[in-house]
Amino acid sequence: MTSPTGSDPRPEIRRTAQGDWVVAGRRCRACAEPVAYAWPRCPACGAEVEPADFGPLGTVWSSTVVRIAVPGHTPPYALAYVDLEDGPRVLAHVAGDEPAPIGGGARLTGVSDAGDLQVEVTR
Amino acid sequence: MSAPVAVAGVGTSHFGRQPERDLVGLAYDAVSEAFADAGVENVDAVWVGTVFAPAGVAQRVLRAMGITGVPILTVENACASGTTAFVEAHEAVRTGRYGRVLALGLEQMSTAFSGAIVPETTDPEGRAGLAMPAMYAMSAARYLYTGAATLEQLAAVSVKNHAHAVHNPRAQYSGEYTVDEVLASRMIADPLTLLQCCPTSDGAAAAVLTAASGGSGEVVVRGAALRSGAPWNHRSPHVWGHDIVADTARDALSAAGLDAATDVDVVEVHDAFTIGEIVTTEALGLVPPGDGGKAAAGGVTALGGAHPVNPSGGLLSRGHPLGATGLAQIAEITWQLRGQCGARQVGGARLGLVETMGGGVSVLDGNSCVVTVLEAR
Ligand SMILES: [Zn+2]
Repeated sequence: MTSPTGSDPRPEIRRTAQGDWVVAGRRCRACAEPVAYAWPRCPACGAEVEPADFGPLGTVWSSTVVRIAVPGHTPPYALAYVDLEDGPRVLAHVAGDEPAPIGGGARLTGVSDAGDLQVEVTR
Repeated sequence: MSAPVAVAGVGTSHFGRQPERDLVGLAYDAVSEAFADAGVENVDAVWVGTVFAPAGVAQRVLRAMGITGVPILTVENACASGTTAFVEAHEAVRTGRYGRVLALGLEQMSTAFSGAIVPETTDPEGRAGLAMPAMYAMSAARYLYTGAATLEQLAAVSVKNHAHAVHNPRAQYSGEYTVDEVLASRMIADPLTLLQCCPTSDGAAAAVLTAASGGSGEVVVRGAALRSGAPWNHRSPHVWGHDIVADTARDALSAAGLDAATDVDVVEVHDAFTIGEIVTTEALGLVPPGDGGKAAAGGVTALGGAHPVNPSGGLLSRGHPLGATGLAQIAEITWQLRGQCGARQVGGARLGLVETMGGGVSVLDGNSCVVTVLEAR
């Protein structure tokens, strides 16, 4: 197993006063592009960005179960691309080892033991 | 308008798991064949495409065959590294910067990885465990969900390309598989099974580019284009990697003065996973949107079909040593346009197209895509 070095590139997640998990990202001041990362500029147009929270709810765009060994992760594990409401498409681990139903709802539930964004299926 | 650039010679090593060989030997196999094919013994400059080879690999392998003291440039563009080297070499000849240029692609995967490529942990989605098969599996699952393809159509791409490779002695794998056998092979990332994923491969491939001489049958570059991906996200109407291929293809076809990809006779595309070929044939405009799976299952993209795709066996069967792949595709189309492909020959092919796309950087619709149109004069 490799031990990743350097700062963690994954989205930063935090809990709101209401107890919801949200991705602390950025939104472009020019084109409104939502970004899950604290990058200095908008990846779509290069304009300035401002802090923005996304989640906790979203829609599953697609999902799969990884069944091969990947360093730092134990197969099988389920992944989904989730389009957060009015937010970016984020990659998240899905609780359990079944793919999340595509087109269905998902809710951010914090991070996994491995530090990955995690969601549960909501409907 | 400047004189066209010719692909004067091509060559490749054998493709496969060859941990006992080193990159010096693999590169020499490719370059010596390309030099002999072109009838040359030296070049004015070299572009080398590779992804995982160690620093200095280009000079290290080239000095062993006496190519020293000339400009050598190494490029990395994920799976499109080899064709990136090719388009840069092409541009150098086209603009007169150099007279004769070697493009070389190489990769030794078997000694670098025990299984699939390890995702890059400095990338957010790589760090989260999104291995390449999983990235493509997301597209495949989405296609199944929207009804744009069926499991059987996904498998048909593997059946077709493995059958094509039976006639390619340099391919890593070949064979007569059934759709059921493909679907019954081990699940890698749902819904993609083992036989729908390219293997771990070692290999090298090369091309020599010069100004065209005007000889009959000479293979020339009719158009070439390269792009890197724009953001791919919730706003994208298509699955990952579709739009970068469509945009790059439009650039290349325009440069070639062609109206559509359906004008070409033979195509080599980046089928690292079965869904990749389905999405790419649609993105190129070779088949109508949503028809990629149907085309594979119905023989449209098979040898003998209206639009043969991957007569070499593609990445799924020839193998996919990342940096070498693009130049292996160029070699195959060059051989096809010369009529040298034996039992996998597309009869009367005059125009051919190569598409390579590589990814792995989160948020982008691919790190890069290269599309090239070649023509036999
Ligand atoms: Zn913007």
